[in-house]
Amino acid sequence: MLRLYGQVISSRLLLGTAQYPSPAILEEAVRCSASNVITVSLRRETAGCAEGNRFYELMKRFRTYVLPNTAGCSSVKEAVLTAELARDLFKTNWIKLEVIGNQDTLQPDVFALVDATKILIEKGFEVFPYTTDDLSVASKLIEVGCKVLMPLCAPIGSAQGPRDTGCLRAMRASFPDIPLIVDAGVGRPSHAAMIMELGFDAILLNTAVAKAEDPVKMAKAFAQAIDAGRLGFQAGLLEPRDIAVSSTPVIGQAVFYEA
Amino acid sequence: MRVHVNGEEVDVRASFLSDLLNELGFQGDWFATAVNNEFVARDEHASKRIEENDRIEVLSPMQGG
Amino acid sequence: MKILVKGVGVGGLTVAYELLSHGLDVTVACPEGLAGSASWCAGGMLAPYCEGEHAPKIFEKLGLYGIQWWNNVLPEDVVRHGTLVLAPRRAHFELDRFAARTKGHSMLSADEIATLEPDLAGRFQRGLFFISEAHFDPRQALERLMIRLKQGGVSFIVSTEQEVLYDFVIDATGSSRLPLDRNLRGVRGEMLLIRTKDVHLSRPVRLLHPRIPLYVVPRKENIFMIGATMIESHNNRLMSVRSMMEFLNAAYALHPAFSEAEIIETGVGIRPAYANNFPRIERKQKFFFVNGFYRHGYLLAPEMARRIAHLVLHAESENEEL
Repeated sequence: MLRLYGQVISSRLLLGTAQYPSPAILEEAVRCSASNVITVSLRRETAGCAEGNRFYELMKRFRTYVLPNTAGCSSVKEAVLTAELARDLFKTNWIKLEVIGNQDTLQPDVFALVDATKILIEKGFEVFPYTTDDLSVASKLIEVGCKVLMPLCAPIGSAQGPRDTGCLRAMRASFPDIPLIVDAGVGRPSHAAMIMELGFDAILLNTAVAKAEDPVKMAKAFAQAIDAGRLGFQAGLLEPRDIAVSSTPVIGQAVFYEA
Repeated sequence: MRVHVNGEEVDVRASFLSDLLNELGFQGDWFATAVNNEFVARDEHASKRIEENDRIEVLSPMQGG
Repeated sequence: MKILVKGVGVGGLTVAYELLSHGLDVTVACPEGLAGSASWCAGGMLAPYCEGEHAPKIFEKLGLYGIQWWNNVLPEDVVRHGTLVLAPRRAHFELDRFAARTKGHSMLSADEIATLEPDLAGRFQRGLFFISEAHFDPRQALERLMIRLKQGGVSFIVSTEQEVLYDFVIDATGSSRLPLDRNLRGVRGEMLLIRTKDVHLSRPVRLLHPRIPLYVVPRKENIFMIGATMIESHNNRLMSVRSMMEFLNAAYALHPAFSEAEIIETGVGIRPAYANNFPRIERKQKFFFVNGFYRHGYLLAPEMARRIAHLVLHAESENEEL
């Protein structure tokens, strides 16, 4: 059973809501993924629009937990302010904290990330930090009060899949009791299965599903891959070995002689 | 009084944030606000005084990853 | 039979034309003039194959009908030079992705690109060519359609208060229905018009980029329209500095000579869309509402106009949804 800041989460697939071909396809993808947590963002609103917010109406129909993000923020102050606005709006202490350090790679600014995390936790937030696979950054985040970590496995939206499984293994081994969610860079269901086999707790996806030719089918594929990877991890994986080992017992085998 | 709402200059009569939001047609629970880069919680909208040239941000939910 | 068409975007004018060609008595209400509609800021690409990248399969067929319709009605406006799709070297994988999801294209080498568009010689290694696509200047198309309608006896009125006088009222008022139709949402599109004699293109060029895909459409008098779309927002404020920078960067990436171009106009259009990004016709007694063209007004309006004409002539009662 996955718990994130005390909440029981029924699916290990967390789903982003951006970039789908249409709201109708987004709605179907969320439903078919059986995801229990969706991520959302904030933007400026137009003055004098009487129609309210269509996306907000759609979001409420999903009946999932909502994890607001601070996408696009590149300073501590911006990220903290965005988090406060998100809490006021979505009525949740959860915040997916992104502080971008480089516009080309979209890598997090880990120094600002730790500072912002500290401030937000003091304000009562439950922080899901978008971080690297660096262990000392991870330790700092835990020190300041994070109870979940969200390392990237490759650049956001790159679909490259886990580039350094050694680092991911080390992270899992170093923080056995902290829920670890791979947040970015997953491209294929097999990537997701591989990460889950390493013992990660969940995967947050967006581009890989939204930009697939058939996002609904891809959402299902990821849901199954994530379940399979998790089961595989729990079942205890066999380590690779260098010699062949016959799977059929040789005892009692008949002996035939050549004429 | 002239203020900036989401980067645009507007003329408003209101002197409190809640009245200003009403005046501009923001009704409902689908937005959050900041004044001069400081967050203003929903239950403080009524008591938040607006000054000339204040920069007000009104944000609403958007798709995100 | 007297019919009132409300709205002078592409949805309104095409349905007016279709009804007129069936011999009906048509009046068009246009309180704000042509320049008020989202159609006024459109790219004017008639690209059913390229747009098929993110649209359902039926789209292609309806879009090909759209090209045919425009070609029949305004043959002097429609330029059938195809569409060129390019990607910067760092984003070549985007070309493969685009090719895998679309039909009607061939892969071009650097030399073939140079043959099609000599000004782009040596700038791109690979491209996709959608030979049967077309483009036109949407403003000129709307203006010409309006003239044709007037010549055919259609009167254009400012007021819309006399709805009782008509047997049918067709509401094609686009984004002005956003506050009234809970199922509609606004999708913001931005565009920029620039002018330069230093670059010549004879067909629309789509530049694929993982973050900022956009297109450049040549128009008459050395004008180029640069556009990008798909911002989920009904916000109609003017173009932002960030968008402008991205547009200009992309234009510069396509050809550095664009840096000397004059900027002659920026524009923002709010395209109304339903949840599936496909248009709908709804009927309430004598009122028909056609809306939700999303970014496909010019391609799909002819088909929707055909359907409305059919419904009006046969006075059927069901709602029409693609």
